[in-house]
Amino acid sequence: MAVLRPAGEFDTSYASDMATIRQRWQWWLLLAFVVALYALPFYASQSVVALVNRIGITIIAVQGLNLLTGYTGQISLGQASFMTAGGYISALLVNNLGWPFFAAMPAAALGAGIVGLLFGLPSLRVKGFYLTMATLAAQFIIPWFTRNAFPKVLNGAQGINVQVPVLFGIEFNTPQRYIYLTLTVLILTTIVAHNISRSRLGRAFVAVRDHDLAAELLGINLFKYKLQAFFLAAVYAGIAGSLAAHQIRHINSETFNLIDSVMFMGMLVIGGLGSNLGPIFGAIVVEMLIEGATLFGPLFISLFPSTAAGAVQALRPLFFGAALMLFLIFEPRGLAHRWQLFKAAWRLRPFSY
Amino acid sequence: MRKSLFALLTMLMVASMILVACKPAAPPPTEAPPEPTAPPAEEPTAEPPSGPPDLTGETITLYHFGDLSGPYAAITAPLIHGAEDAVKALNEAGGIYGATVEIKFADDGGNVDEAIAAYDRFTSEDDNPLIMISYGSGEAEALAGRFAEDKIVNITAGLSAKAFYGEGSGYTFGLGPIYPDQLAYTMDFLSENWDTYKPAEAGDEIKLAYISWPTAFGQGALTDESRAYLADLGIEIVSEDTYDVSPTADTTTAILNAQAAGANVIWTNTLAFGPAAILNDLNALGLRDQFVVASDNWAMDLATYAFLADPAYGVGLITPFPYLWWTDTDNAGVQYTQQLFDANERSAAEHNVGYMLLVTGVDMAARAITHAIDTVGYENLNGEAVHDALIDMSPFEPLDGVMKADYSDGSRSPHMSQIRMIQGGPDAFVVIQDWTEIPDLRPSK
Repeated sequence: MAVLRPAGEFDTSYASDMATIRQRWQWWLLLAFVVALYALPFYASQSVVALVNRIGITIIAVQGLNLLTGYTGQISLGQASFMTAGGYISALLVNNLGWPFFAAMPAAALGAGIVGLLFGLPSLRVKGFYLTMATLAAQFIIPWFTRNAFPKVLNGAQGINVQVPVLFGIEFNTPQRYIYLTLTVLILTTIVAHNISRSRLGRAFVAVRDHDLAAELLGINLFKYKLQAFFLAAVYAGIAGSLAAHQIRHINSETFNLIDSVMFMGMLVIGGLGSNLGPIFGAIVVEMLIEGATLFGPLFISLFPSTAAGAVQALRPLFFGAALMLFLIFEPRGLAHRWQLFKAAWRLRPFSY
Repeated sequence: MRKSLFALLTMLMVASMILVACKPAAPPPTEAPPEPTAPPAEEPTAEPPSGPPDLTGETITLYHFGDLSGPYAAITAPLIHGAEDAVKALNEAGGIYGATVEIKFADDGGNVDEAIAAYDRFTSEDDNPLIMISYGSGEAEALAGRFAEDKIVNITAGLSAKAFYGEGSGYTFGLGPIYPDQLAYTMDFLSENWDTYKPAEAGDEIKLAYISWPTAFGQGALTDESRAYLADLGIEIVSEDTYDVSPTADTTTAILNAQAAGANVIWTNTLAFGPAAILNDLNALGLRDQFVVASDNWAMDLATYAFLADPAYGVGLITPFPYLWWTDTDNAGVQYTQQLFDANERSAAEHNVGYMLLVTGVDMAARAITHAIDTVGYENLNGEAVHDALIDMSPFEPLDGVMKADYSDGSRSPHMSQIRMIQGGPDAFVVIQDWTEIPDLRPSK
């Protein structure tokens, strides 16, 4: 993409060569965007803030999946179950042991990471479809565990109420307050994910994804890197699960389910696998589609009262399925790739070559 | 680059704290859930108006959210039309003191996250929401704290004990008895009438198999209190199994486990395809005559018939029935509901508990709002006043006795119910025990 840089832009140091953001105006633009997000509660309605909150938490979960599936090529349908693990760990630490949320969340991330490691173990022996099935096991075992193990602590299928985070006496008990947590964590996870993808670790992930045998011949320890990818993906899921549980204020075995795992995978496909922008684009598009279906349902019923009840049931999966299918056919590299093409076209304008 | 990033992150963290601090103060902590208060009339926040107010030109909005696109859609979809028709009729009759009532609905797909999104949307649209009606146990549990914090009355069909009496709740009121009460009530009845209803080869003791969905709703009847109650009755729970929340769920293993454990009663806390799966599989296995099948109130509905392989499989199902049914045509409320149904040309599939109960729910909401206006005046009308009105009005009978509500004495779910049994085709829900008081198994916090 270097050739698509604006004319006259040269690197004069290693630092500028490695920089993600090269121009001062890009920094200002980013800063303005971040400030606009942080100021959202002052000019947007509660429902919009709540939606951005949800999107933010979803992006974090999908970023983890992107490290595993997008960069390392290990398909997983267990991401939501690792969110369950993170959510429960965080909730129990805060509720039962009195930990502050800000200590419980990293612990939940670590705990979820360890659970992810366990379910990543089969990745050395199986891959592709079979690995997908192996990760699917997490989606059954973890919810089963939360429903049946330690009923006095986990409260079975009823689940547990979760306290809201408190910092310096300030309760994060409304979407307008919670969004500051979500955005701050999201910025951190985005920076970490971006830097992982540019590091030796990220390059090893890509090598494993592109040709695992060749990677092994080059000295990359497949087992180690695959497990690291599973660990990181689950850490991200743990963070997202912790954030979501404290935001919802309740968690049970149904809170994050198989449908969520499938949706995360769909978000990644729509956004773009193996791109740091992919999770962001994918989560925004799919969450907006879901929101659209939710808003469209009652309208559809009032317009077509006699036939709507059955049709409305299908709206959400229909919107998601149609978007997924269209992207797989027309833009399998996702919106992130489309964004690169758009930028390139804009910079080359008016010449198309 | 690193320094810039660090500086940016530090700035953001500091800015976050400043922004959080700048936001309006949070509602008071929820550790002290609002207990039923003294009748509002004793401590009015303003002088009650001398005569009925004229609220012509005003609008009072009711909100409800439920599952239109998820597992419970079969039973919740008709709720929308029930609510719409009831509100339409209410407005045609003059609204509430002339104020137009409107109702807004959101589909949450049976998903807690979506229910919270709907809640956030409604509360951002309205500075003073009074009542929200919801249907799922999971949603009711997750939102109970928010309803109490924001002082919005939640009238719910999700009858989880935790939603009503859990820590931080207090504004959640039931359209039926909580599930542990329902289980205890039914087992009480079976204990007393075991000789009449027991399977031919069953012994003198009731052995219960709890076969249900692995969800908050499905497991909602089994609490410490209900287990202790059953133990006091001498009823042993010999088997606990779960099956998928799916119309194609296979319950044969759970049934065979129950048989092996010596069970003679199966309780399933499910609805629509939930009880249908058990009844279908019992008949397929040829074991139907070995078990009494009992369930929560939602199971006895046309939605269940839609999933039965043969309508005859429904015969013998026993459930608590805390409201009247369409066939109780001597009741004015049922007649009114039938008139609404006919006038709006609703489809036969909607002739179910959802429609009936939402017409009742809207009547209950309208009466509570009217009572609150009478007590504190329209200008002081808010969720807290409606909450107090529901308690103050108790006991009362929404829609001319279609339901018997009583939210006094700290209770937030009804205490009266019938028991019915299917003795024929759809709609033949025969009363086998008339209105009686049900056990009160509200949990200790």
